[in-house]
Amino acid sequence: MTPKVQIKVEKLTYQYGSGQPALKNISFEISKGESIAIIGQNGAGKTTLAKHFNGLHKPSFGKVYVDNSDTGTMKVSELARKVGFVFQNPDHQIFNDTVGKEVAFGLKNLGLPKQEIEERTATALEAVGLTDHCRAYPFNLSKGQRQRVALASVLAMKTETIVLDEPTTGQDFRESVQIMDMVRKLNECGHTIVFITHDMSLVARYARRVLVLCRGEILVDGDVRSVFAGPELLQKTYLCPPQITNLAQRLGRHSIPPDVLSVRELYELLLKARGEKIGCCS
Amino acid sequence: MALLEIKNFSFNYPQSPQPALKEINARVGKGDFIGITGPTGAGKSTLTCCLNGIIPHFQAGKYQGTINLQGASIFDRSTAQLSRLVGSVFQDPEAQIISAEVEQELAFGPENLGFPPAEIKKRIGDALELVGIPELRDRPTVSLSGGEKQRVAIAAALAMLPEILVLDEPTSELDPAGTDEIFRVLNLLNKKQGITVIIVEQKTEQLAAYADRLLVLNEGRIVIDAEPWQVFSRRRELEEIGVKIPQVTRLAGMLGGNDSYTLPLTVEQGYIFIERILRR
Repeated sequence: MTPKVQIKVEKLTYQYGSGQPALKNISFEISKGESIAIIGQNGAGKTTLAKHFNGLHKPSFGKVYVDNSDTGTMKVSELARKVGFVFQNPDHQIFNDTVGKEVAFGLKNLGLPKQEIEERTATALEAVGLTDHCRAYPFNLSKGQRQRVALASVLAMKTETIVLDEPTTGQDFRESVQIMDMVRKLNECGHTIVFITHDMSLVARYARRVLVLCRGEILVDGDVRSVFAGPELLQKTYLCPPQITNLAQRLGRHSIPPDVLSVRELYELLLKARGEKIGCCS
Repeated sequence: MALLEIKNFSFNYPQSPQPALKEINARVGKGDFIGITGPTGAGKSTLTCCLNGIIPHFQAGKYQGTINLQGASIFDRSTAQLSRLVGSVFQDPEAQIISAEVEQELAFGPENLGFPPAEIKKRIGDALELVGIPELRDRPTVSLSGGEKQRVAIAAALAMLPEILVLDEPTSELDPAGTDEIFRVLNLLNKKQGITVIIVEQKTEQLAAYADRLLVLNEGRIVIDAEPWQVFSRRRELEEIGVKIPQVTRLAGMLGGNDSYTLPLTVEQGYIFIERILRR
């Protein structure tokens, strides 16, 4: 059985005002349960594309379907039940005077009973490690914490699809891993995940499929291994695979494959290569 | 004499029960390239604010200890004096850039110091040249990309001809190419012009490749102050604090690397190290 198509983008072109189109005739599909990273240079159109998934942008030409419905005919409030969106800058999102109210806001709009709102809020805050900050004023928190407040309010909505625009910018290493581990868990529970990032090691670690945007067009769309294995294509848009993949690609004459994604993987390949060498010499 | 000397320095924000910085000791020599890293809330930005006069001139608080710049206390100098010595670049260039055009932005500092127009023009030209963006001189600042804005912010700091450039996560919003660009510019300014660079950064792969020395901050203290390879050899400690070790360095550590020759900091060095291992 082929998995259900969650988001379908059909010949999408988008133009801000009268200038050059920010997206040019883009087509692809995202299936239910996928974990997909969108990468590309600053200004490539990543955020513009993602904003079509929750209806903040409507196509200038072409169509975007979410759950088989044309976003052009849907209200943003309808789409909000299907697609959760974590903005790059949490301050564009947060407006309530306590963390708890912020997380509960979307749930109230859904008209859920009080008890369910409280339960979902508590669960979401626990998931992002902010239970103790429920009554805190959001703008007294650090940027990393505010980002997690924004994430919690999206988690609480339990939307089928969750879109995250650079969720780890401004986070330290541990916070980044915590956030992405949480995103991975959601994906394992069946949520469709779309995330935008500049951190190629996060792509290697957390995405299965990667979409490379370059000046408003899709340069490559494939599984992470095959995309990182061909660095020439990435260089076109000034991206480069993670450091460890880069190193592996220089070790081709030792039979190291070009699509290594983690330190552990290369370590084991090198142990094997060294072992064989010792084996043949002795 | 060190260019900058921090001695037993502690700082408390008003109404904060915990000091943000605790007994900081560090020396920075002229021409050093120093990286500062550590988890959020460790005190990294607070420390940079102590170096450019934002603390105590614009941000009140209680401090103890001394910070000497060229032998005299930073806190006895006015912000105008400090602005000639210390150039600052912040995380968000949009919060820093105030002018409608690039040229005006660069002129702002020197104009405030009362330099004659010819001198200001020369400084603007030189600064744009140094950062590699002379073509942006007449551009409206709103039309710039994130990377361009960040380089304009660096150029504006350079137009003051500072001794030290202090940068607080200047690449956090930039793509990998933009990040490399900024580090290449900083490296050039440091090596060719002898400008001292102090940079707060989460991207440890870049710090490993470019910094002479790294300070790791945690909970308001400097917990490690050493050369990059020495810092990244302390794997367990860094994992506990939450500092990312560059992938090639981590790999070499797992393969038994433990000194400056066997702990590569760049892909190039990693390649040489692995070749050596496989040849053995």
